[in-house]
Amino acid sequence: MEIAVKNHFGIFTFVVIAGIALFAGRTLAVNSQPSGKYDDPRVAELAEEVCKKGWIVYAARALKGDWDLFTMRPDGSDINNITNTPMFNEGLPRFSPDGRRISYRRIAVSESFDNNLHGMQGELMFADSDGGNAAVFGGEGEYTWASWGPEGKRIACMSLKGIYFVELATKKEIGRLDRRGFFQQLSWSPDGKWLCGVANSFGSSWSVARIEIATGAANAVSSMNNCTPDWFGDSQHLIFSYRPANQENNEYGWTQLWMADAEGKARTLVYGEDGRHVYGGAVSPDGRYVLFTGNMQEDGDASGSGAPMGLMRLSDAPTIGGQSKALRKVHGATKDGPVLVLPDGWEPHWTYCELGAAK
Amino acid sequence: MIRSPIPVGRHTHISLLLLSLLCILGFCASCTKKPDTGEDVKVTTLGSIEVTAQLLEIRGKIINDPLYDYAHVMKYKVLQVHRGKVDGDIIYVGHYNPAEPRSSVADARVREIGGNLRKFKAMDIQRMALEVPIDDYYMGGIINKYFGESKDPIYWAIWTNLVIK
Repeated sequence: MEIAVKNHFGIFTFVVIAGIALFAGRTLAVNSQPSGKYDDPRVAELAEEVCKKGWIVYAARALKGDWDLFTMRPDGSDINNITNTPMFNEGLPRFSPDGRRISYRRIAVSESFDNNLHGMQGELMFADSDGGNAAVFGGEGEYTWASWGPEGKRIACMSLKGIYFVELATKKEIGRLDRRGFFQQLSWSPDGKWLCGVANSFGSSWSVARIEIATGAANAVSSMNNCTPDWFGDSQHLIFSYRPANQENNEYGWTQLWMADAEGKARTLVYGEDGRHVYGGAVSPDGRYVLFTGNMQEDGDASGSGAPMGLMRLSDAPTIGGQSKALRKVHGATKDGPVLVLPDGWEPHWTYCELGAAK
Repeated sequence: MIRSPIPVGRHTHISLLLLSLLCILGFCASCTKKPDTGEDVKVTTLGSIEVTAQLLEIRGKIINDPLYDYAHVMKYKVLQVHRGKVDGDIIYVGHYNPAEPRSSVADARVREIGGNLRKFKAMDIQRMALEVPIDDYYMGGIINKYFGESKDPIYWAIWTNLVIK
């Protein structure tokens, strides 16, 4: 079995341990090995709680240095490299709604994924969720920013000329929408009625916004310095990354994980940590947990080797990791629940289904 | 004690004289910059619109962040329309990664873009090849500090040359 990158007990773990120990008066030993040995009973309990809840797919560096796709149990056990393609880099895996298939993008190993262009790079691929029957769907630069439709038979894509819908069986375009300033990270809601993405048409760049497919009407969900939006299962809420302005002692600021109702009325912190840029938020199918990555380097996920992934209960939000003195001044009342630290990865996604087309 | 063969006062006078001459020469050189209409084969052929316009305002800070690409919308007064049609004499133009000199701004996301302008400066006059609206030609972050203030279309700058009067 090939494990992506074993260095996932590093500083992130230490910061989480130190921070939670300091503020909760406990000592954690976050451990992503499937040994079941966790020094902190809260993390052990969380790992036990999620370990049988389906699978996580994510991109990570393989031992040969290229990006492959991996699956693992949500507690970090049973890691499998499901692509094993040294000649290619794979990224952006997304389970189909029934969990039987995955979509992803594939580029030559000589190329690098760009954190802002990755949805437009290389070829769109489909495979069984265990990696079997991988097939190229479109040519280089086609079907950009593809996102699964609710029944897994269509995808929504976005290019310069607009948003368009494609029937997978025939590859026919079956509809088109103005993209209304959306420019990256398109995602189709589970109920099929909405699209969310990153847009610049709401008075600030990098707003998270949604479009109603039936009317084409768009609204901002969170303005200014947001990205990587994804839907909750109820299609009424979004998880996304947000870098608030005017952070103390940090002109650039740290990117945090936030959630909001899709009408954009209220947004709340989910997880933040001074010293980490939190990206790649993905909610579990039942909306009880959330996955994310925490990188010390801005934009480091795609250009580096991913970042330690974290898993927490949404009922523990807001949680702040580490000392994060400045962030704690802004968010006084936090729950600081346990965070299960998982291997280094990029853009994780979660299904509660068993893997493989027949399961 | 060794005495200078030339009195110190005379040294000072010579230095000041040379400095003044250099300043005058430099000033004259800058005054005699060759007029340039900004015309070249790119600006006259790329895009569907070509204008000479004065950059009235750069609203907001030009961000120089290598991790993010974006277009920054700037306000211009149109002085002359060479090709195509513009709506009114005030236009809003989005420039890609404006911290970069135009000669080196093209990249994987935006390939056919350039010009000889090195730095955006308010009140400068530029000759630009444009397209409109920006969303039909560019898919990326846009910093538009005129949002909500103007409903005019945003033009997309393809080629930008400095005009010297």
